[in-house]
Amino acid sequence: MVSAAVVLMLILWLITIPLAWAPDPIGNNAQLFADGTRVTVQLTLVSGVIGVLLGVLAALGKVSKVAPLRWVASFYIWVMRGTPLLVQVLFVYFALPEISPWLRFNEFTAACVALALNVGAYNAEAIRAGLLAVPKGQLEAARSLGLSRWHTFIDITFPQAIKIALPPLVNNVVALLKDSSLAFTIGVVELTNAGSQVKSTSFQAVPVFIATAIIYLTLTTVMTQISDAVERRYDIEGKLG
Amino acid sequence: MSAAVAPNAPSPSSAPLITVDKVNKRFGPHHVLKDVSTHFNAGEVAVIIGASGSGKSTLLRMLNRLETFDDGRIVVDGTLVSDDARSLEKLRTEVGMVFQQFNLFPHLTVLDNVALAPRRVRGLSRPDAEARALELLTRVGLQDHVHKHPFQLSGGQQQRVAIARSLAMQPKVLLFDEPTSALDPEMVKEVLDVMKQLAKSGMTMLVVTHEMGFAREVADRVLFLDQGRVAADAPPEQFFAAQDNERIRAFLGQILH
Repeated sequence: MVSAAVVLMLILWLITIPLAWAPDPIGNNAQLFADGTRVTVQLTLVSGVIGVLLGVLAALGKVSKVAPLRWVASFYIWVMRGTPLLVQVLFVYFALPEISPWLRFNEFTAACVALALNVGAYNAEAIRAGLLAVPKGQLEAARSLGLSRWHTFIDITFPQAIKIALPPLVNNVVALLKDSSLAFTIGVVELTNAGSQVKSTSFQAVPVFIATAIIYLTLTTVMTQISDAVERRYDIEGKLG
Repeated sequence: MSAAVAPNAPSPSSAPLITVDKVNKRFGPHHVLKDVSTHFNAGEVAVIIGASGSGKSTLLRMLNRLETFDDGRIVVDGTLVSDDARSLEKLRTEVGMVFQQFNLFPHLTVLDNVALAPRRVRGLSRPDAEARALELLTRVGLQDHVHKHPFQLSGGQQQRVAIARSLAMQPKVLLFDEPTSALDPEMVKEVLDVMKQLAKSGMTMLVVTHEMGFAREVADRVLFLDQGRVAADAPPEQFFAAQDNERIRAFLGQILH
């Protein structure tokens, strides 16, 4: 897990070097590609972390005994999963400032808000499934020991639920990395935008977009590796062999 | 066993530890418990038997509010059993429970399974809680398995961990809900031996079981639940002697053969 994270950091740090070796139009635009890659990873990490927190909150809302909380969570999940991410990105960037000046964000922040809200809804369903998969006997054992609701949740339910939810969560974050390309539409210079700019100046679409795709592929591969490592870390029962 | 983990001595007052007063419970149209009244004294070992669906597990689970009841009253050690959050918390720290399916926490080691509740509920430091856990695990013969996870243990070992986990809270009474029913036959004895040892130490125990040998040997009282009522309540020698109750004879006949 640590090693995979180190690999990711190294990629971000050193990506300029292989890109600079590549023939033009990649080599002479290596810096632009490298910056775009960093922005893409930043978008993914920021909205990914917030998205997991939102997912936990929305999942708890959905399994809550309090009806209004269930309604709010269900409504949020319903809207976010039922509308295109592109519309959500545009809405956050262009429509929210018109509703309230407090909701005026710069391009990067707006993209993060939209992506986090979107992935949060998908995460909520994954975490909810995890919460429901924890056997009832676990709660009964925790309660009969006198554990408070908070400790029952934080010590017993949540660790078991998150372990079950981990593979779909990673799936969502990998999808998020690719979806972050929609930030292009509000002017964030992330990887896809960088590629597009290089194409506009070089008129060489084939090498530019092959390079763009290879960088995405490298990033998603590393993320999958990290998630496999995390899964193994929590696989105390040796189910993965 | 040190004084720190000794179960309570029989209370000097004559008030029963647990009073069950005219309790009714319905699951939809099914009237599971009908006007059940009884009481249990500190230091007593009571075995509750009865056919499947007679309400014996339901009665047990009401005592620590894992199950609600429709009317009537249950008082445990002076605490009225209700949904009031504070009294419920106090109740559950005084009433331990051992389940048929063990319900150990699979993501925690054996030691953490036992040490968790004393740390979280009693506020013990980690070293203190682990020392107590180790002592209890030694008492149930599992000192060599403390750093394993539950899945690495046999059913009998898991159930002994579960008993140690309940004891770690130093409850005033331990409830056993068919503690050996999920075990392979060769593992039943090791769990019953731990339970016998506990009974000898003066622990108040309410045991739902089909182990008639245990009832005969260890129980102070045998309660027979039939169709939601306490149909018999007698010392084992009397209960297992010539029975004039036809339904008890039929039940024992099925159990013993």
